[in-house]
Amino acid sequence: MPMTTHPRSSRIDRLSQRARRIVAVATLTGLPAMFAWSSFWLGTSVPNLIWGPVSFLLIGMTAVGAIVLYRFVRDRANLGSTSLDERQRQLRDRAWVLSYGILSTVVVALVGVLAILVLGMERVVTLDPNLMSAVALCTGTLIPLVPIAALAWIEPDQPEDD
Amino acid sequence: MARSPERTEPILHNRLAVLRAERGLSRQDLADAVGANYQTIGYLERGEYNPSLALAFAIADRFGLPIEAVFSPRPFPALSDLVYNRPAS
Repeated sequence: MPMTTHPRSSRIDRLSQRARRIVAVATLTGLPAMFAWSSFWLGTSVPNLIWGPVSFLLIGMTAVGAIVLYRFVRDRANLGSTSLDERQRQLRDRAWVLSYGILSTVVVALVGVLAILVLGMERVVTLDPNLMSAVALCTGTLIPLVPIAALAWIEPDQPEDD
Repeated sequence: MARSPERTEPILHNRLAVLRAERGLSRQDLADAVGANYQTIGYLERGEYNPSLALAFAIADRFGLPIEAVFSPRPFPALSDLVYNRPAS
């Protein structure tokens, strides 16, 4: 019989759905934004003094956001978890379906952009090592976070303690 | 009873809060008795989650009541109206 003890909650457990959604978006966009910012910065004369703090802030969004999301979700996004009740299992399954939808959309959009560039505009797309390492780092970091962010996104505000 | 704006399925009304209060049960007590998370009891009370048949029967069984005394697709009349035999408003 699945049962979860009552963890009288921390501030993270009590985050509103709106706050969690902001954290989820910040977490998933921070790292890609850092690479985009760095790429933009290379083509400008913006001094290092600006690049560093902005990059640190963007990486921090992903790092701190990931900690907050993991702390909020705990093991509830884990497909193998046996300690969830029926509502929690429903939410987890919805989160995974949403994650699949998000990832599918991203992949289809990327393939579509490449197809338009290569086939429609006859441009040559070069996959240089810097771009590929950024993509690999973002993929490796963010894909495990998507189901967790999705669960934090869909979980309604918690009832008040009685 | 509050309702999530994203929710599409029909709401299932219940008397969980009243029954818990009558029996002096906390959400955690009831959750432990029926094998659910205490937050799930809260969501049930707020009408933001419809239980499975198994959970609904387990809850009714915990209160020693028929399931239709605990859950209903229609709003329950106020208990005071039932007790004092006044028609529900």
